[in-house]
Amino acid sequence: MADYRDDISDETAALIERVADSLRTPESLDPSFDARLMERVRAEAQSVHASVPRGSTVWWRSARLQLSPLGALALAAGISAFVALSTLAIGSRIWTRTVTTPAPAVAGVPAGPDTVNLVRFVFVDPRARSVEIIGDFNEWTKGANKLRLSGAPGVWSVSVPLSPGRHEYAFIINGSRWVADPLAVKSSDDFGTESSVIRVGSPTNSST
Amino acid sequence: MRDRSDAELIEEILGGNVEAFGILVSRHRDTCTRFAVRMLGSGTDADDVMQSAFMRAFRGLRNCRDRDRFGGWLYQIVINECRTFASRQRRRDSRFVADQEVIERAVTPVEEDSDDSMSEHVERALAKLPAEQREAFLLKYVEELSYEEISEATGVRVSALKMRVKRACDGLRDMLEGVYHG
Repeated sequence: MADYRDDISDETAALIERVADSLRTPESLDPSFDARLMERVRAEAQSVHASVPRGSTVWWRSARLQLSPLGALALAAGISAFVALSTLAIGSRIWTRTVTTPAPAVAGVPAGPDTVNLVRFVFVDPRARSVEIIGDFNEWTKGANKLRLSGAPGVWSVSVPLSPGRHEYAFIINGSRWVADPLAVKSSDDFGTESSVIRVGSPTNSST
Repeated sequence: MRDRSDAELIEEILGGNVEAFGILVSRHRDTCTRFAVRMLGSGTDADDVMQSAFMRAFRGLRNCRDRDRFGGWLYQIVINECRTFASRQRRRDSRFVADQEVIERAVTPVEEDSDDSMSEHVERALAKLPAEQREAFLLKYVEELSYEEISEATGVRVSALKMRVKRACDGLRDMLEGVYHG
């Protein structure tokens, strides 16, 4: 206030103070304001999740690819094929699927009872500096399975070999932020921390 | 239970819990509402602007860099929404009065000695100021922000803001001196 009062008479300063004081009375909006706003927010959040990802949208889905033990040996050679396959699918609305056809590197290898499933997790967040996945399959160990940028801006992915059955997992963003997959079944521990659940089918189960 | 900080709520919202946005809204709604009502001179218009501002905030939440200063970031959005609204309004036919509050105000006789009449005079005088002077005056004298804070929120240099406030004060004095001292 001194900025102006220095230049004006006390009388004018008093007048301006009275003016300001009368304008400081609180104002409130219609009581329905919050409800109307939250209705729009929920609708927007739903439409974001249902649509093709945009620049500021976080979304993630998993796809899995069955792989025999011999296939696991060929993983290094085959991984580039999986990356290409998944990247092509990112632009589509629905791309969670089980690929039953063996990848080129493992073509001709029959699925056996000890077949492992290579599950590909994708997380899209252009502002993330690092993304990793933790779960029962890596003893909830940070740093065990880091997602890597895979071509498109902000698209992080990793392929993890999983045994058939139920697995719980979560993402860690920027080394500290725990994020459960909102599109997956949730599970909470005793402290209310949410994680996500994925069920990996038996070797004969060819689709999700 | 400890209230979650703005930053914690933002983390939750970005993690998928959109209901946490409701807490941010109730926490910061009233602070910005007074500015919007005074700036636009209408509760109905302020309601529209605040809805737009909060929706913009929700969509751009990821761009809020200093998440513990969500309130300041929201202020910037509200100021910009008010400016956009005001410039759109200027383009409309100014003779068309659609706001019920304005109509009621125009036909309600003012009782010269009441506090309400003083407020009426002040609001009318405020509405006659150029928008940039009104904005600077409200942020400085009513919201009581520092010039540095106003500069950050509006993108206007401090020296220019001081000039706007001074002119606003001169204008209000000229319009209201007779009311307060007459």
